[in-house]
Amino acid sequence: MEKEKISELRGLMKTRLNRPMRYYLDLCTRCGLCYDTCHVYQGIPKKEYSPVGRSEVVRRLFKKHFRLSGRLFPYWGDAAALDDAVMDDVYEAAFSCTGCRRCMVHCPFGIDIPHILSMAKLMLIGNGTAPEELVMLADMAVEKGESVEVFRDGFKENIRNLEKDVQQRLGLASSEGLIPMEKKGANILYVGLSGAHSIVHPAVIFNRAGENWTLSFFEGVNFGAFAGDPVKMDLIAKRIINEATELGVKEVVMVECGTAYRILKFLTGEHPFRVSSIVEVIHRYISEGKIKVRGGAISEPLTYHDPCQLGRNGGIFDEPREILAILALDYREMSPTREYNWCCGGGGGLVALDNEQFRIKSGKIKKDQIAATGAKIVVSACENCITQLGTIQTGYGLDVQVRSLTELVSENLDI
Amino acid sequence: MRDTLYYFIMVPMVYLAAAVFVAGLFFKFMNVMLSPRIKGRLGLFPRRLPRAAGVLKDAFALPPAFRKDKVFWALIIAFHVAFVLLALGHLELIREFAFLQIIPHQVFLGAGAVGIVLIAATLYFLFRRFRTPWREISVPEDFILLLVLFVTMIFGSHMHLAARYGIAGFDIPLEDYRAYLGGLVSFKPVIPDMIANSPHYIIIVIHIFFANLFIMLFPFSKMIHSVFAFSALSLKRK
Ligand code: SF4
Ligand code: SF4
Repeated sequence: MEKEKISELRGLMKTRLNRPMRYYLDLCTRCGLCYDTCHVYQGIPKKEYSPVGRSEVVRRLFKKHFRLSGRLFPYWGDAAALDDAVMDDVYEAAFSCTGCRRCMVHCPFGIDIPHILSMAKLMLIGNGTAPEELVMLADMAVEKGESVEVFRDGFKENIRNLEKDVQQRLGLASSEGLIPMEKKGANILYVGLSGAHSIVHPAVIFNRAGENWTLSFFEGVNFGAFAGDPVKMDLIAKRIINEATELGVKEVVMVECGTAYRILKFLTGEHPFRVSSIVEVIHRYISEGKIKVRGGAISEPLTYHDPCQLGRNGGIFDEPREILAILALDYREMSPTREYNWCCGGGGGLVALDNEQFRIKSGKIKKDQIAATGAKIVVSACENCITQLGTIQTGYGLDVQVRSLTELVSENLDI
Repeated sequence: MRDTLYYFIMVPMVYLAAAVFVAGLFFKFMNVMLSPRIKGRLGLFPRRLPRAAGVLKDAFALPPAFRKDKVFWALIIAFHVAFVLLALGHLELIREFAFLQIIPHQVFLGAGAVGIVLIAATLYFLFRRFRTPWREISVPEDFILLLVLFVTMIFGSHMHLAARYGIAGFDIPLEDYRAYLGGLVSFKPVIPDMIANSPHYIIIVIHIFFANLFIMLFPFSKMIHSVFAFSALSLKRK
């Protein structure tokens, strides 16, 4: 690796040396308690796929390039210098991690491994070896934020078509205004994804609840975060923040996308509006009696997969369970569950990459967990999880149906 | 020559170690404080306890270790409790602390058991690392620190046990350790004759040498977890 490249990468590492990064890099005792707490390691037991193994890749580089001791006595901490081979390890460590933070729950110090790996991802961008798909999708999202005018009419046209679907589902005479857009002073700005289902089902629920809402022009998903580019992550999130501020809404409601929810709620500072997940809103409507779902509508055994970004990273555990308790006659909990639940293997943008075999292997523990419940329906509330659960289902020929919570609610509304 | 070397270890090196320790901790602390804060919150859920109580529980009861490996957990707790008792014992060599006599004891609490517990735990930590998968994630630092602790503790325990149980003509009375440490803290260093002329002097020199080494490595090694654990655990609950 050339000198210039090394100093460029070192410069990028430096931009990530914030306070938590400093102490996370210093304090790991390599106690190994996190060793097998990663679902990837469970599926492919290689040191590189253990949380501590991943963080060591970055830590060794940090020692060599930022610590006097690492430069003088690399032996002491096994410090490693930047070179092309190391960058392959960096890729392996960073883009096999879903950012689920299950390891953090098991670390006695609560070290945030994905936070450490954010340095790795930034280096990969600098090295030009970050996954092209993610970088491209992030660029497209940023571009859409900058020239929304170009997209506006086409998007509205598509929404008019979706309104007809909503009309049918609600059994109404007219489709007029069923999916409002650019509505100033609405209570809720709902942010969907590019798939029609992510708009139609919530629209059914909002209409049924008589909500004063409006649909965002943008998708919730944040490929900037997946690619590991903090600047693009901010730009992509800003699109929604600006839209919400301009419309003066009270609340931004995020589609079933864990990362989008966590970024807007926890990683982008304070906002003049409240941030909720669609799951919380459905739960609220039910408790307030604004919508009713058919009690015991589903008789087949059913289980719920906690999306990592909604559950342990977002604090939404009870709402989905309470909704499902009404819908399902035979609800079964996975083991372990809630904050200890195994990640499905789809997070961190991994489902957008061409890595199906890897995801099937790393989803093994999830497969075992689902099979052990004997459930025939697996419900989740995150688009990534649902895609990955589908991959696990086909990959292992698992006899289950994978369903989205919002969809299930919208289909079982008591009219 | 020998006397000069011994003197160097017993006096100037102790001051050097103390200076490196304090300056190192200050450097590490500033290193973090001068780095930019992050914008968001990295907390985990659920949070059943108020933040401060949660941090204390995480720091002192180590729930993740308890869940995962009860033996390891017990030894980690035993090690850390014994380490604190050990520090208190050394302070008592400098000065009597009346409040510590709630449990009546000679200078060191535990009649030698504290040292034995520490040595046993240290050996467990070391032997644990010899095995897969812990061997693969270990770096030289992990082994060396444990070895430095082991040697320090073996010799320290020997000094204590030999004096307490009067083994084989071990002729250094407590008062001389007091005089030595008292001299160090009052910046009037002396090495009492009973120590300097004892055939066991070398044992004390080795103990002090490795203790100095450990103290100097403290801020610059993973031992810093004793400080940063609180920052990380607090962030986890923000
Ligand atoms: S559990 Fe935490 S301290 Fe232990 S090896 Fe893993 S990251 Fe390091
Ligand atoms: S965050 Fe999840 S995927 Fe990443 S290392 Fe930890 S357990 Fe594994």
